[in-house]
This record gives sequence, structure tokens and C-alpha cells, in this order.
Amino acid sequence: MFCPQCGASNADTAAICTQCGRQLQAVVPPAGSPTPLPVQGVVLPPGTTVPNYLVFAILATVFCCLPAGIPAIVFAAQVNGKVQIGDIAGAQAASNNAKMWCWISFGVGLAAIGVWVLLVMIGVVSGIHNNR
Amino acid sequence: METFLTPSIRRRDLVAVLFLAAGFGVVLLRLFDPATSGVFPPCPLHYLTGLYCPGCGSLRAMHQLLHGNLREAWALNPMSVMLLPFVVYGLTSEALLQLRGCGLPHFFLPAVWIRALGVAIVLFGIVRNIPVHPFDLLAPGVLLPL
Repeated sequence: MFCPQCGASNADTAAICTQCGRQLQAVVPPAGSPTPLPVQGVVLPPGTTVPNYLVFAILATVFCCLPAGIPAIVFAAQVNGKVQIGDIAGAQAASNNAKMWCWISFGVGLAAIGVWVLLVMIGVVSGIHNNR
Repeated sequence: METFLTPSIRRRDLVAVLFLAAGFGVVLLRLFDPATSGVFPPCPLHYLTGLYCPGCGSLRAMHQLLHGNLREAWALNPMSVMLLPFVVYGLTSEALLQLRGCGLPHFFLPAVWIRALGVAIVLFGIVRNIPVHPFDLLAPGVLLPL
């Protein structure tokens, strides 16, 4: 090959130009380029992937508020889906959405408990004392 | 690592508080049966509409599990019983992640699996309300083995 810098003729497999010392072989792609992570069907070392909040999404759906928990699960699926195709930025955005819906569900559940406690206290709903 | 914690709240404190709250809840659940005691708030959806959401019976199921009654727990909410080990493992992993910066190793779930789980949860919530055999077996407390 010919050196792009000085034009000297070099072997095709030469690492650097014998004339000017310029690097001839391909350089490693800069960090941040979207390369798909080898995640399919793999047991990952902990802490190497984007959090999908799936556990919280399940808890939110079952224990707190179903209408808010379902979007959380949908976004949790989206996180892993985007990681599978290498879209880490998209995965991070989906992760933030999943987290938000988990908090919404938790908040609704907490508010519902608060309302129930209030209703018990003002006697509208039979609470601890009447439930025997 | 993504976190919702502000700098002023130490992770260890938050995990400790949550662990204590969970522990208190477990003790309460062991002592009182949600089926008969008014200590636990009822589900608003069921209270207002009489419908069974996917989580209906899960608290009673946990109470039965705390007393070693797997069959009764399964009858109350089979899905919760099946999901419980994964949820416990996941929560432990989250706690360890906040405490030592590194959670437990986990299998990467393909997105389609997670979506399937979501669909299964919703279907479970719909089907268990159908008062037709055999769907009514999924209602809390009905699927009791002979």
C-alpha cells in the first residue's frame, strides 16, 4: 500500500510507514459508537446493562396501581429491546420512562391508602374496629 | 449507574429504612391475616367494583406462605406465588446495588419475554373475573386442591 502521508510504498500488512512512521492500519472506532452488546441469552455480570426497573414495575402493577404499572412494564420491555439492538441512548430514555411510571403507580397506591385511612378515621368506611 | 437518590440521602440509609419497613410489613403479615383482619387496606378497585385485579389475593397469599401453606397461597393468587422468587431476587439485587454498587448476576430477559409477561398479567386479571368454569378457578381462594 502507499502511505497517505508521504506516498512511500509499503507492504500491505505494514503497521506503520517505513518512510515517515505514519500509522497505516485501521484505527479502533472511537468510544461511544453504537455497537450491539452481546446480550442475547447471556448471564450478565451485575451492573453492566441499563436498568429496566422490571421488578418494581411488576410490584407496581400487582400491588399499587395496575393502569400505571402496565406502562412501566411496557417501558421495561423497551429498555431491553433497545439494548438488544444497540440503541443505548434509547434504552436509557425508556429506562427513565419505566422509572417514572413506577413512581406514578407507587404514588397512586400510596394516595389510595391515604384516602382509605382518612375514610376510616371519619367513619365512612368500617376499618379495624368493625372488621371482626 | 442511574439513581433517583439525591446527594443528601445516603443510599445505605435508604436501603436500611426500606428494609425495616419491609420487615415490619412481613411481621404484620405473619401475625394478621388480610382475609379477616382490618389492619390492611383493601384494594380500591375491588372495593368499588367487586372485580379481581391481577394482584387480588396476593397479600393473603403471602400470609399463607409465611405460615407455610403453599396450597392455600396458590389458590389465592397463583401468579403472585410464581413471581415471588423472582421479585425477591430482584429486590435483593437492587438493595445490593445501592449498598455495594454491584447487584446480583441476572439473566438478560429479551424484550419479547417482558412483553409476554405484561400480557400474561393483564390476561390473568381479565380471565379470573369470568364467572365461568374453568376460569373461575383463578379467582382468589377458589382453586383449592382436593
